[in-house]
Amino acid sequence: MEQPERSTSLAHVRVEDLTVAYEKPKQAGTFTAISRMNLDVARGTFVTIVGPSGCGKSSLLMAVAGLVKPAGGRVLVNGQPVTGPGRERAMVFQDFALMPWRTVLDNVRFGLELQRWTGEDLTARARRYVDLVGLTGFEHYHPHQLSGGMKQRVGIARALAVDPEILLLDEPFGALDAQTRDQMGTELLAIWERSRKTALFVTHGIDEAILLGDRVVVMASKPGRIVETMQVELPRPRTLEMMDSDRYVAYRRRIRACLAGEQREERATIPRY
Amino acid sequence: MAHARNTVAYRRTVSIVAVLVVLAVWEIAPRVGAIDPAYTSQPSKVIAAGIQIVRSGGLLEDISVSLAEFAAGFALAIIVGVPLGLLLGTFRVLRYLLDPPIMAIYATPHLALLPILVVWLGIGMQSKIAVVFVGGVIPIVVNSIAGVREVESSWIAAARSLCAREWDVFAKVILPASLPAVVLGIRLGLSRAVLGVVVAEMFQSQAGIGNRIMRYGSEFRTDYLLFYVLLVSVFSFTATWSVRALEDKLWTSGK
Repeated sequence: MEQPERSTSLAHVRVEDLTVAYEKPKQAGTFTAISRMNLDVARGTFVTIVGPSGCGKSSLLMAVAGLVKPAGGRVLVNGQPVTGPGRERAMVFQDFALMPWRTVLDNVRFGLELQRWTGEDLTARARRYVDLVGLTGFEHYHPHQLSGGMKQRVGIARALAVDPEILLLDEPFGALDAQTRDQMGTELLAIWERSRKTALFVTHGIDEAILLGDRVVVMASKPGRIVETMQVELPRPRTLEMMDSDRYVAYRRRIRACLAGEQREERATIPRY
Repeated sequence: MAHARNTVAYRRTVSIVAVLVVLAVWEIAPRVGAIDPAYTSQPSKVIAAGIQIVRSGGLLEDISVSLAEFAAGFALAIIVGVPLGLLLGTFRVLRYLLDPPIMAIYATPHLALLPILVVWLGIGMQSKIAVVFVGGVIPIVVNSIAGVREVESSWIAAARSLCAREWDVFAKVILPASLPAVVLGIRLGLSRAVLGVVVAEMFQSQAGIGNRIMRYGSEFRTDYLLFYVLLVSVFSFTATWSVRALEDKLWTSGK
């Protein structure tokens, strides 16, 4: 018999000594976005990654998605090294990345078409996911006719429709106004709690990170690295009211201290003339 | 009322009145001796010439010669230009390789190539088709390249993240995303192609609309000449308008 412990003891996503570097545009040399990072994400957990812009949090997600090739180290999913995108991972983008010439329904169908899903009517399946994110009645709208919040619902539906094990969300609500952001966060959690897929959620919002995550990973920049990881012991389902609890406030203070501490250090390293 | 001046009906009325005024001045000025009718002719004479030309036959033959040259050259320009532009937009190496010659042809007035094309291909249809092709293909290539290069990288990333193969990225993202730019290129190429066929026929041919324009010009038959010019304008306008309508449709579903 197979040993069941093996799959449970394995991290669903393991980031091993990961370095991500980009060529600098229009000049020689490379820019190191992430330096020698390690991170384990257990199956079925919601991990949020918070940090200032430029700390490499999006690069981390891109590497897990298989969209950028690491300069060093590797990412393992289910123990297998990532060499490119895979069906078990799906991504939600900050700028939605919807095809403007496709309708809502056809955008949700997009991944199903690409992955050549069979055995089920693709339109019917897409329609179910459009319904799941509350866009029934808007199937035949084009993205330019939708609000930002509605666009990202389409983005989420597109990612969920291909039934991934791991959901990668790159500042998905970053382009939305505060009120819509809160609402979308709550709705995302409601959807997530029904499926309990492993989720990696990148944000620069501290509140969002605490409210959504089982675990918060705090990153700092230059080079991008993890400075703190923190278990969030708030019961689920989470509500916006929890933001007033003492525990929440304590988490918040701790993350802020981490981020502020890093900034102070950074300032101190600026050479003076 | 001020706001009434922005309505479509108001704009149309002003445009139509302007056209009517020009036509009226054109008709009346030679009659009262203000200008020499030999130079400008008159709308009524142009219409009369048109009726004569249609009755005498031969018009259909000229149209079919010009149209055949145009259609063959422009179809070739689309068949070659669109795939070439998409390829050049996609593959950087090809772009580096072919950018200088394309830019050189782009900068050259394509009609200046007419004499050499006649030397190569003779004064028959082939040289006209070639001029139409050269005129039409460049804007199509240049705009198709721009179309591909302006595809949002996040659309491509989204497709890749969903396991798109290279062909899928092209067929399902790059192609539909650059379609509006491709069609714009076709519209811009169109007027250059029409110009190509008319001018080529003026200088080196025995038939076609351009040939008639040149011949009646040398005979000072301005009424006949202007009727043929009118034909070209109507054709060019209709074709451009149709492509623009297609563009508008692409943009409203695509933006």
